[in-house]
Amino acid sequence: MGLFKMPPQIVRLVLLTIAIVGSYFVARAFLTPASFHQYGWFRGNALEELASYQPVFAGKKSCEECHDDQYQKLMKGAHKGLSCEGCHGPSQAHVDDPDDTAARPKKEPFSACVRCHEFNPSRPKWHHQIVSRTHYSGNKCTDCHVPHSPLDVP
Amino acid sequence: MTTEVTNIVVEVMPHFEGYVYPNESGQHPLWSVLIVLYPYITGLVAGAFIMASLVRVFKVRALEPVYRLSMLTALAFLLCAPLPLLFHLGHPERCYEVMMTPHLTSPMAIFGFVYAWYLMAVLLLELWFDFRRDLVAWSNVTSGFRGIIYRLFTLGVTDVSGPALRLDDKIGRTLSIVGIPSAFLLHGYVGFIFGSIKANPWWGSPLVPIIFILSAVVSGIALCVFNYMVLSWVRRRNTDMPCLDIMARFLFYALVVDAAVEGLDWIHRIYAAEEGFQIMKVMIREKLFYTLNLGQATMGTLLPLLLLGSLQLLRKRVPELIRRRMYFASSALILVGVLAMRWNVVIGGQLFSKSLRGVMAYKMEFSGMEGWFMGAVLLALPFTILTVFIKLFLSEKLPSAGHGEPTAARG
Amino acid sequence: MKEALSRRNLLGRLGAAAAGLMALPAARTAKAAVQKLFVSANAPNGYDPTKHKWVMAIDINRCIGCGLCAEACKKENHVPDEPNYFRTWVERYVITKPKPGSGEARGEVLVDSPDGGMHGFPEPPVPTDSILHSFFVPKLCNLCEHSPCVQACPVGATFDAPDGTVLIDPKYCIGCGFCIQACPYGCRFLSPVTHTAEKCTLCYHRITHGLNPACVEVCPTQARIFGDLKNAKPDDPITQFYQNNRVEALKPYLGTEPRVLYAGMDKEVR
Repeated sequence: MGLFKMPPQIVRLVLLTIAIVGSYFVARAFLTPASFHQYGWFRGNALEELASYQPVFAGKKSCEECHDDQYQKLMKGAHKGLSCEGCHGPSQAHVDDPDDTAARPKKEPFSACVRCHEFNPSRPKWHHQIVSRTHYSGNKCTDCHVPHSPLDVP
Repeated sequence: MTTEVTNIVVEVMPHFEGYVYPNESGQHPLWSVLIVLYPYITGLVAGAFIMASLVRVFKVRALEPVYRLSMLTALAFLLCAPLPLLFHLGHPERCYEVMMTPHLTSPMAIFGFVYAWYLMAVLLLELWFDFRRDLVAWSNVTSGFRGIIYRLFTLGVTDVSGPALRLDDKIGRTLSIVGIPSAFLLHGYVGFIFGSIKANPWWGSPLVPIIFILSAVVSGIALCVFNYMVLSWVRRRNTDMPCLDIMARFLFYALVVDAAVEGLDWIHRIYAAEEGFQIMKVMIREKLFYTLNLGQATMGTLLPLLLLGSLQLLRKRVPELIRRRMYFASSALILVGVLAMRWNVVIGGQLFSKSLRGVMAYKMEFSGMEGWFMGAVLLALPFTILTVFIKLFLSEKLPSAGHGEPTAARG
Repeated sequence: MKEALSRRNLLGRLGAAAAGLMALPAARTAKAAVQKLFVSANAPNGYDPTKHKWVMAIDINRCIGCGLCAEACKKENHVPDEPNYFRTWVERYVITKPKPGSGEARGEVLVDSPDGGMHGFPEPPVPTDSILHSFFVPKLCNLCEHSPCVQACPVGATFDAPDGTVLIDPKYCIGCGFCIQACPYGCRFLSPVTHTAEKCTLCYHRITHGLNPACVEVCPTQARIFGDLKNAKPDDPITQFYQNNRVEALKPYLGTEPRVLYAGMDKEVR
């Protein structure tokens, strides 16, 4: 056999190479995640894991389930494009446990209105804007406007 | 302009000017001093190996006194090359994934394989074939811990007959020939990590890998000159002047080519004046004024070019002592200049926003993973390892039959 | 050759190595089966990623710069509070009138995004009557067809999912930051909490459960349009958007082919 005519240093190196390359493949077989290459060059299980995070915002449909009256009112008015949670804040915790008073969304202050409606020259012209300093001397928007149906007068 | 220096030296509040994307407005550039050191150290490896292969492949006999020193330098620095990369990872414990599931479209994924190839198939193998005869001889005359190390490194092969040694030499030369493209691959790939990023006009250029290779060769040869002179000084030996002259000549040639290609890169950038050029002007004039204009261009390139170039013309008229000092000064200047070049590439590419509307400031801290101290430790480490290697494998107390080494100096 | 390396010895070693290599596939299958046992707990609830193609589009003309989207994104995805970590943010562009007689078509371009726009925007830094144009541009992951970030990731931790999203596997990312450097749009950051790269996932945990992404949910003007191209009906907002607008992508010259398209774009937006 030709192998045994090879000089000893070469034989030793060949064995060493086989050992190193072999242990690489052994390591690779055990350290590559099982779902790798399921869809592509990544861990397929990552999709499920990323999909399993808990939402913080519940979505408008969840609000409708209990607050149907407010929902219907909103959807008839000029604010129908707004999300409940845009003004009232994230509500998944409230949906999960409606009795938990601490998780209940708060009444919205004045800032919720001016956040969108305060005049800013960068805002598009079609958008209704006011200068709050000169618009009204009182401090409550709701004196004159109904947020869920903004064109109505209270 | 001055803020650059103050930012490097003392802590100032991080700030940015103009508009930068919010995700870019953090305190540090994402890649900082560790990633500056990584291409620097890798470049020194590649360059030192090229220097050594001048003896082996191109038969420049005058360089034999530094052959083994260059090879050991390459090995010592190569062992440290992955450390900065490893330390800067967000999850160093997951680094094995680069070897297990390398994503082949990523220049970085190739790192593990190029590194393993270069370390094991090129450097260690060539060193083993070079030292085999000596290792067998030393393991017979030494005992204790040292003896165990030598015996371990022989891998149990004790055949040092004539034919076996001739085979060693032949294989060593072949490995050296394979090693040159491998060294280019190793460092060209490091350059490609930056050159492949099209999102960044400072980095994304096909010339970047080439510049990285050329500056690597320059810095590697400079490091060999530096190490050889320091070692001779420590051992109170005379430096081999013909060897030093030849090294300096190759250093000069490499520097000329490197400076020419870097100049070409800049001429191209200035002439093409593409979208990012306005922000690049700010970088050159303000953000990188000292490290680029002074560090990289003047100290690292022009001054050594003048020193080495004048010695090429006037070698015979300059006394040895002056020549030695000039060689030493130029090699030290080049080492600093190439470090400045890596800094300019890595940090410079992150000091402006990819919106091309603003620039960021960078303050370097003393402590911490990305600080001065860590950087200094990582730069000192390869020199420490090299000292151990020299004590083990270039010892003056042991008989040597290999290629020449500093002790065999002729001068 | 004379010492330990007898013929039998060597053959034995080679045989063992060969047997080891042959045992690999079997070992791997066994390991996969074991792993499957442990992960089956969070199997997908009827969601098939190959049956969707999610996409978002932005109508710049409709954005009022309220910043609800950026704020909701931070809350929904638990993004660190600091003002330099955003999965989505809003930029304001102010283009001033040219100086009279300067011969220029437009004046200066001022861009800002205070706190990523998540608390809204103050008055612009120039007087109202010197503004030629001003508008808001919401930014997010551009969902590139040829994502430079996916190309750059060394381990396959960031990837093009079959459903059109570009995701990061937080358990597999090594935190090297190469994807962040490769993203031309500044959409990625290295999280100081997880030490991995993070970016917009189109709220993957929401869209796979029939909800809209948080930013789309709270947007009061429908400036962000979200849809599923594989299941889009003619009256869906996303279909309507493509029908009614001429659109443009960000930095098209880079060849990344962003799938997030903008209506009402300006040349200064990048």
